Amino acid sequence: MIHRSEKARRASDGLVKIMSNLAALIGIVFLVWIIYVVLGRGIRAFNIDFFTRLPAPPGIEGGGVASAILGTLEIVILAAFMGIPAGILGGVYLAEFGKGNRFGASVRFATNVMMGIPSIIVGLFVYGLLVVTTGHFSGYAGATALAIIMLPIVARTTEDMLNLVPNELRESGLALGSPRWRMTLAIVFRAASSGLITGVLLAVARVSGETAPLLFTALNSPYWPTSLNQPTANLTVTIFNYAMSPYRDWQQTAWGASLLIMAAVLALNFTARMAFREARK
Amino acid sequence: MLFELITALSAALVILLMAGILFELFRNSRLSIARFGLSFLASAAWNPVTGEFGALSSVFGTVASTLIAMILAVPLSLIIALFLVELAPPAISRPVGYAIELLAAIPSIIYGMWGLFIFAPFMSRHIQPALQSTLGSLPLFQGPPMGIGMLTAGLILALMILPYISAVMRDVFQMVPSVVKESAYGMGATTWEVTRKVTIRYGIQGLIGASFLGLGRAIGETMAVTFVIGNNHEISPSLFAAGNSIASTLANEFAEASEPLYLSSLIELGLVLFLITLLIQVAAQLWLKRVEKTVGKL
Amino acid sequence: MPFEQTTNPDRQLAPAHAGKQEADVHLEIPPRIQVRNLNFWYGKHQALFDNNLDILPNRVTAIIGPSGCGKSTHIRVYNRIYKLYRDQHAEGEVLLDGQSIMGEVDFIELRRKIGMIFQRPTPFPMSVFENVAYGLRLHYRLSKSELADRVEKALDRAALWDEVKDKLNDPATALSGGQQQRLCIARAIAVEPEVLLMDEPTSAIDPLATAKIEELIESLKLSYTIVIVTHNLQQAARISDYTAFFYEGYIIEYGATKQIFTNPAKKQTENYITGRFG
Repeated sequence: MIHRSEKARRASDGLVKIMSNLAALIGIVFLVWIIYVVLGRGIRAFNIDFFTRLPAPPGIEGGGVASAILGTLEIVILAAFMGIPAGILGGVYLAEFGKGNRFGASVRFATNVMMGIPSIIVGLFVYGLLVVTTGHFSGYAGATALAIIMLPIVARTTEDMLNLVPNELRESGLALGSPRWRMTLAIVFRAASSGLITGVLLAVARVSGETAPLLFTALNSPYWPTSLNQPTANLTVTIFNYAMSPYRDWQQTAWGASLLIMAAVLALNFTARMAFREARK
Repeated sequence: MLFELITALSAALVILLMAGILFELFRNSRLSIARFGLSFLASAAWNPVTGEFGALSSVFGTVASTLIAMILAVPLSLIIALFLVELAPPAISRPVGYAIELLAAIPSIIYGMWGLFIFAPFMSRHIQPALQSTLGSLPLFQGPPMGIGMLTAGLILALMILPYISAVMRDVFQMVPSVVKESAYGMGATTWEVTRKVTIRYGIQGLIGASFLGLGRAIGETMAVTFVIGNNHEISPSLFAAGNSIASTLANEFAEASEPLYLSSLIELGLVLFLITLLIQVAAQLWLKRVEKTVGKL
Repeated sequence: MPFEQTTNPDRQLAPAHAGKQEADVHLEIPPRIQVRNLNFWYGKHQALFDNNLDILPNRVTAIIGPSGCGKSTHIRVYNRIYKLYRDQHAEGEVLLDGQSIMGEVDFIELRRKIGMIFQRPTPFPMSVFENVAYGLRLHYRLSKSELADRVEKALDRAALWDEVKDKLNDPATALSGGQQQRLCIARAIAVEPEVLLMDEPTSAIDPLATAKIEELIESLKLSYTIVIVTHNLQQAARISDYTAFFYEGYIIEYGATKQIFTNPAKKQTENYITGRFG
């Protein structure tokens, strides 16, 4: 009997161990590199003007992204109002009524497809739907595009969280004589509440960082977002425009805006996961 | 009952949207479909002035950048998942796992900014010259090391899809029952041997499913690629050359497309991308259904 | 079906006459629940075959039998809780106080009249008070003080008031397992049902708490009709007045508990009671 060389086996095992430590290290190195760069360059753009003033033409001092910050807030909040309730209700259907029937299976399939759609395609869709038909770009169109992106995400996380609630809890509610809707809202939602909230927060975090869907819907604007029925200022498209421009100060502003967006998204993410962990205890 | 109806209508919304997108894309690309027909897919032309458009260079760029990303990200994700589940003590695996998740949360435009201003110059100053001096005879590494181009785009894409693939692979690894692994260890196998012969084999279908997920994301990724791929419609064998992907072309050129045929061609590009994504989704779903039948729900 | 199956429905209904006891007096009192020719399916698989049974009022009826024999399935027809699941359906007749509960009925009122306790305690994710108040709010319009009053009464009846009176606003999930189960009982009796269905209520509870709950059941039967599914034979012998023995979806034998346990009429019942199979 020939024994496989123990040395060789140990060597290959050791090699793999080294490689996997390296791989994990690579991931961390890049993460730190990116955050460090964005932090460093972005902070340099932070000053009072940055947060309070309208954009200035390149070369002129004192410009800011106040309008873009406001615009992003308005668009994301509107998108949340549109996408979250619909997403939650859809998730309720999938978890409570949509098991084992063809409609439920089709919805699940469509949800998977929609979750995998490039966001720029959603932007294209809303462009045809709302921009071409109304004849102008608008914050409404931008919010619609973001809502469409949120909808399947919220539906999926809602379904997953509701599925974790044991059936006995549902039966207990019904056994007391509760109508189905009341049992679902008062008991099932309460039981899954932390998970539902986490799902919503993560979906909001995801869309607030999106650029592509706003490119042909909300466009961008150098003015205050007083009405959403026109091209609306927003941070992400601003970053895109400014970064691609040849002007140093605009590029600097782009870094500042990048830091803002990154900080907001990571903060939302962190909050969502912390809240989930707390509630789990 | 009314409650069920309301929730069902909301659920139906997803199907309506999916169908709506397909319909809209077809409708708005009628012009170029009528004009070019199927040759649109085979033509590498892209000339807004003469009105000749073809999807080939964009499709090539999408496929090439995605391929580079997958070649790098899939094995890397595998080893990272292995690291997180088998090798690292919880004190390390938890923060590292969280760090990997953070990579997924970073918006793609941030990757674009970092890619354009930091990583591309880094590639141009250090990595590309190094590659050229060693492997420069290959057509893959010809041409001026500008930094932006197919290789850089592929690398950034790899970084972006890494957390998604490794998250799912980690779940797959965690689902392998300990008893199975323990019996292998009990026979004197090394960690790598257990992984190769037991864990991977057990979860191979889930691992492939994870890769599908990454594939779908890479194909549709827009902002990061747009910043660093260079927006050039030439097809070149060199990794250092600039190119374009479907998504980057849309992002770069949609604003300037005033002419109806130009616009329609861009939208047709979008349609092609959507169909590719749809196909990958269908394939992934069918694959996962097969997996479910043998191993149970992931 | 390898065991003797009588076709005479009467033998399955009335307590066996061998061994006359005080049980016979109750033959004159109309049963609270009457089950006639009940069949049940999970999808294509039939789980209950021609069940016939009478549940007598203000008594504890135990339902015993090996795992998977249809005990839980059977009582879950009484409050039609199975309707939650699309692929489950029942055929036959079940009467509550002479009225059919199959077909088009007001589920809400039916389920107020028939309460259910589950194997694992199922406290709602709310405070202790809110748990008991939930059912009350569903069925009655009560003022704040009336509500508080009824909650206290229900908790008192469930032998839980003293233990939770200072913790009414604490989350119900903070209670111990045994307390949670008594909370579920309090919750069920708050809406003044007629029947209490208990599906293995103490199998997930420690022995000390189990004893408390068994004591509670003894006191509850004065006001309610209780049906308890249990695979703990000693428990059935301890607390029930009547016992029905199920096997593979059939009711093999039904009678006064004393008689079933000391002098069962069917060989199969005897085998189960003596532990020849389980």
